[in-house]
Amino acid sequence: MRITLDQWRVLGCVLVAVGLYVVGALTIPGYNSDFSLRAMLVLASLLAIASIGQTLVVIIGGIDLSIPFIIGFANVVAAQLYGGGMNFVLVVVIVLAIAAAVGAANGFISAALGLHPLIVTLGVGTIVQGCVLLWTGGFPAGSAPPLLSQFVSIGGNAGFLPVPWLVPCFVVLAALVMLALARTPYGRRLFALGANPRAARLSLINPVAMWTITFAFSAGFAALAGVLLLGFTGSAYGEVGQPYLFQTIAAVVVGGTALVGGRGSYLGTVAGTLVLTQINTLLIGLGFQPSMVQALLGVVIIALVSLYGRDAHVRNTI
Amino acid sequence: MTKPRASMDGPGLFMQAWRLLGFAPLLLLVLLAVNIAINPARFAPAGWGTLIGLAAPLVGAALASTPAILSGRGGIDLSIGPVMGFVNAVVVLYLVKQAGIQSPWIIFPAAILIGALIGALNGLLAAVLRVQPIVATLGTYLILVGLTLTILPAPTGTVPAWLRALSGPLSILPLLGIAIVWTIIRRLPFYDHLMAVGSDDRAAYTAGIPVTLVRFVTYVIGGAFAGVAGLMMTALISSADPSIGPTYTLIAISAVALGGVSLAGGRGGLTGAAIGALCIFLLQSALTYFNLSTFVLQIAYGAVLVIAIVLTAVQDRLLRRRQEG
Repeated sequence: MRITLDQWRVLGCVLVAVGLYVVGALTIPGYNSDFSLRAMLVLASLLAIASIGQTLVVIIGGIDLSIPFIIGFANVVAAQLYGGGMNFVLVVVIVLAIAAAVGAANGFISAALGLHPLIVTLGVGTIVQGCVLLWTGGFPAGSAPPLLSQFVSIGGNAGFLPVPWLVPCFVVLAALVMLALARTPYGRRLFALGANPRAARLSLINPVAMWTITFAFSAGFAALAGVLLLGFTGSAYGEVGQPYLFQTIAAVVVGGTALVGGRGSYLGTVAGTLVLTQINTLLIGLGFQPSMVQALLGVVIIALVSLYGRDAHVRNTI
Repeated sequence: MTKPRASMDGPGLFMQAWRLLGFAPLLLLVLLAVNIAINPARFAPAGWGTLIGLAAPLVGAALASTPAILSGRGGIDLSIGPVMGFVNAVVVLYLVKQAGIQSPWIIFPAAILIGALIGALNGLLAAVLRVQPIVATLGTYLILVGLTLTILPAPTGTVPAWLRALSGPLSILPLLGIAIVWTIIRRLPFYDHLMAVGSDDRAAYTAGIPVTLVRFVTYVIGGAFAGVAGLMMTALISSADPSIGPTYTLIAISAVALGGVSLAGGRGGLTGAAIGALCIFLLQSALTYFNLSTFVLQIAYGAVLVIAIVLTAVQDRLLRRRQEG
């Protein structure tokens, strides 16, 4: 019963994404154009990569507020190191490794001491941002390698596909994430721990190790998104991750993943990113100011989640 | 729940103080001593009004964030900062500038009413509709930030003299007001219901407590406090500014956690939250005095936050072990 309900939520989100596309194509001239579709796919892919970690962390029963800070960190440090003449592959390895270490610290502190990850990730994220600012003096330098810019460029082509390489690569990555969640011991442990921590411990799942690994994944994917954003914008900007703080959470919940742990799917999150990106494009296309777009986005998130993401009443949880 | 633990006898005086007070009050004392030592003039009694006025918006934001967190099951109010910004914009732009209203007898009730109404909306979404509180209040966060920027695209306006005095000589009054209201609330059955719901809503429900109503009222109270906090912020900046309010949300939640309020609900209180907020304020104040860059300040602030909650958790763990042993 519960499984079908969750699948219905994901299906609902996919339907909303398709419905938005139809509405947009019918009401806004140019919504269906080549450029607008490419732009939306690239933006949705970037958001979806940043949301991989948030999905995993929410399934295990936590939340990660350090994602925007990690994105900013990766963005600035990658540009700075590459600008200093380092090999870009080495740069990416270093950035991902540091990010994973920070994420592991988030998960370890939260799980080993039983602290709420919201506060831990916020504190650690603040430290990371401060360190980056201190290192760059607030004015990050450096640039993106041309190959990376091409990889995420809205005008780029992937072989015969009319989208940049980012999009097909993301589709493969998304398939791998879903496979890992559905078919690997890691995925099963993740859901087990999120659904019932005590039962999971009795079946010899080590919660501290799982939290450490999962938060390391989360920071690693956030860093990946930060590096890709460097290619997208061309130059480093420490605050580039800030919109992702609430957007990753919104994508996860709009995608039907409950913030209670043990339930959810990455397919839903991907559908959630498509919904959010489309609503944004749609509202701007209808001529709303950015501030009004933000307000309406809030209305839409509440409306969607109250349609299919409500909690059970207390009386039904006894 | 913490009191019986605290009364247990311990070895050292420091340990006893730690156990009795928790980590945050000790940190507060240390920070206060450091601040007074490095800058006696600023902390002289003559400057207390201004000093409290500087700290008041953060303390108010922390107090406003606490009730929702106390109510448990993921209860949290991310919209506190934007509520403050919205109240700031409406009061300065519509009441003072356009309608020409100067009287505190209109402005204060208006601010509290706006806050309480938004709190009621949050309560409706989070408690009655049962949208997860973090999502519901994230929604109202986005709505309020958007609305505030729409009615007030750029900073503008002035405030009446009495409101400016609320960041100077009279700065303690709004905080005292919140303290009195909360003291009264603590004597009502509602408070026991709130703590019961926060610790275990299922047990509370089986005991006949109207869980949904209690949670709804909790968000209204938090919203009303946020309205007052918005006025304190207005007093401090003496104008309308759409960008300042939202910055208080996360720092207020940090202050609440620092003050020993459990984010799982049912443990802690407004005193702890206020102490946590004062710790953050004094930390900023001391670091600014040393003329350190804001970057170092940010690192230190994050580090103190993490270390403080880690120490609180370690303390809890030690106490539990001793009780069991």
